Amino acid sequence: MPRRVAIVAAAPTRTSSHRTDVTYPELVYEAVSAALEQAGLQPGDIDAVAYGSMDPFDGVFAPERWNVEACAGAGAAHRPLMKITTGGTTGGSTALAGYYHVASGMFDAVLAVASQRVGETLEAQLVLNTAVDPVYERWSGVGAITVAALQAARHFWRYGTTEEDLALISVKNYENARSNPYAHLMRMLTVEDALNTRLVSWPLRLSDCCPSSDGACAIIFASEERARALSDRPAWVIGAGQITDNYWIGDRPWYEHWDSLSMLARRVYRQAKIADPLAELDVAELYNAFSIQEIIEYEALGFCEKGKGAELIRNGVTTMQGQLPVCPSGGVLCTNPIGASGLIRVAEAALQVMGKAEKRQVPGVRKALAHSWGATIGFHTLMVLGSEPP
Amino acid sequence: MTARVAIVGIGQTALTGSAGDRLYHELDYEAARLALADAGLDRGDLDTVVCSGWDAVDGRTISDMHTAMSAGGYLKDSAHVGEDGIMALAYAYLRLAAGLFDVALVSAHGHQESSFETVSNVVFDPLFTRPLGPSHLVSLALQASAYAQKHHISEEQASAVVVKNRGNGAGNPRAHIQQPVSADEVLASDRVCYPLRALHCPPQSVGGVAIVLASEDAARRISNKPVWITGISWAIDSYDLGSKDVSRPGSLAAAAGKAYRMAGIGDPAKDLDLAEVHDITAYHELMAYEALGLAPEGGAGRLVDEGVTGMGGALPVNPSGGVLCANPYGAAGLIRAAEAALQLRGEAGQRQVSGARRALAHGMSAPSGAAARTDCALILEGG
Repeated sequence: MPRRVAIVAAAPTRTSSHRTDVTYPELVYEAVSAALEQAGLQPGDIDAVAYGSMDPFDGVFAPERWNVEACAGAGAAHRPLMKITTGGTTGGSTALAGYYHVASGMFDAVLAVASQRVGETLEAQLVLNTAVDPVYERWSGVGAITVAALQAARHFWRYGTTEEDLALISVKNYENARSNPYAHLMRMLTVEDALNTRLVSWPLRLSDCCPSSDGACAIIFASEERARALSDRPAWVIGAGQITDNYWIGDRPWYEHWDSLSMLARRVYRQAKIADPLAELDVAELYNAFSIQEIIEYEALGFCEKGKGAELIRNGVTTMQGQLPVCPSGGVLCTNPIGASGLIRVAEAALQVMGKAEKRQVPGVRKALAHSWGATIGFHTLMVLGSEPP
Repeated sequence: MTARVAIVGIGQTALTGSAGDRLYHELDYEAARLALADAGLDRGDLDTVVCSGWDAVDGRTISDMHTAMSAGGYLKDSAHVGEDGIMALAYAYLRLAAGLFDVALVSAHGHQESSFETVSNVVFDPLFTRPLGPSHLVSLALQASAYAQKHHISEEQASAVVVKNRGNGAGNPRAHIQQPVSADEVLASDRVCYPLRALHCPPQSVGGVAIVLASEDAARRISNKPVWITGISWAIDSYDLGSKDVSRPGSLAAAAGKAYRMAGIGDPAKDLDLAEVHDITAYHELMAYEALGLAPEGGAGRLVDEGVTGMGGALPVNPSGGVLCANPYGAAGLIRAAEAALQLRGEAGQRQVSGARRALAHGMSAPSGAAARTDCALILEGG
């Protein structure tokens, strides 16, 4: 039986296409100091740091080094710091690392922090293209957008999903983001507007694609004893895990499904004792970098049968007023500081459980799910947070 | 008290100067196969995989897309640290100690996809420090210079470390450089960055290493010679070279102190039978002696003068030849753990320290040499 672990503070920063108002260490300190203040802790109370970022998008190699003093003074204090990088899942993987730090029994209060300044990148898709094999696949120009377009094209063909369905997803997320002070895109969007944005990679239009954002996020994980002392309503980790799918884009069987995510969901739901996710989860923060992915995620996560994802949005099941609100924050579709986005999902889920999500709060959240995907859609992380310990 | 974790499988490729036609992740693959074979396991027995390395050095964004597969991670729970492999071991330790996994594989590779001197410059902040041209080598030289000045370390003493390690490396069939060298040759080698001469610095090597770790019950089932991790700690140093004392690696002292406490070690010079340290330069081995408490501050020179850390001495350091004989960047730290574990299994061949029961392994994870270097200290004990 592992130690019980809870989140006692969660602090995303404000985001924009380029946070030129702060240096990189200042951006990270903005998240860290807010998390410390929320938990009522001093920098010296932090036992260890797990840090996530994807260096190739920052234009700085190993930015955690530059930012080490911003992480509760970790460098000057000669504290443990571990750097996590797993592509888009980096933030999710960093949350998992923070959780395992405390679960191991070695540490009682651990800072998980993730950051990204995509605004320093000339073109993120060109950077991402260097992830794929230089001989066999890179020439095809593959990046996140083209892979997501493949997912959409297959889902359209197999299940009759339409551009209007994608627009409904975008409209819901844009609407939610307007209540989130930490969102990047905070503007009104109608279905008509969405269908009139320019085509980026068929069938994905601009409003189906996430922006490139500068932002950071910090979370504090604590042992049971510390968590109970620090917070009246911490967010307990009741299920967590990661899965790694194969490397080759051409070796994936069906782009309209996300079988590796389904497999991970089964493992994590078992830990969290969840049998019917649609009924038992109160809110989900999914990594919806592209509108189509939110639909496929509904299916892979068992919110509905395969092929029925679009029906959930058509019927309003996942809106703020629906049975299972998805991405009250506006999701990755409205804010994407790549390496931090997965940690922001966990932070938003934690804030919902802790009752601190302010204008985007879903009432009475007892169980919340946080997801991230990474690589060329080959990695996933999940974390389930609950108002009661496991 | 946390659960007990043991090393139950060790796999190391040959360390060479060229990868031939192999890609970086093929080194992880070869090492992982060797480690699984050593443990008598196959891929299906693994619960989790932790890979390591720096995308900027690998020349590949999200380099673990490939290495996680190569290390047996397909459809498993994997993670990747942007660090030397020693930190992958630290992370796998946390996962096992938490009781959530039973068997983990960690892997690391060193390759030559990029010019490390150029890439390490990009670690420095773009506004104030980067334009000055600092790099891995420059920051290491700054440390070496500050240390040597402060404690009157002579060039002869630093060179004696090279002579010792190169002599040891001659007995290591996997080492990249297996030729002994004389003190005169070291002192006559080119000055690359004051006070460092060419032979005070390691080669750039290619190779991989993988280690299988297991929780207590699984370790006893898998191995009849598990090597237990009885102490482990890591710490990072501050970043700005201009606002810290570069003459001593405070991060190593902090990590070692905690690892000793965890393992119940009071006097490391007496309680340890051998040490594998990350001798990124000859001067850094001397600095490590002091940070590890093997010598008082400023007293490291005496240890080499008296041969204490030689193969016949009271505490042999780097019987493998150390990083000075093989430096696959990103894997060199994890190799220290592999070599120390082989000693405790009595399988170190010609470089075996007789009767070794307790060893220290020190790995450094430092994309920029001295700026915010991370040090990990492990205490290992034989079954």
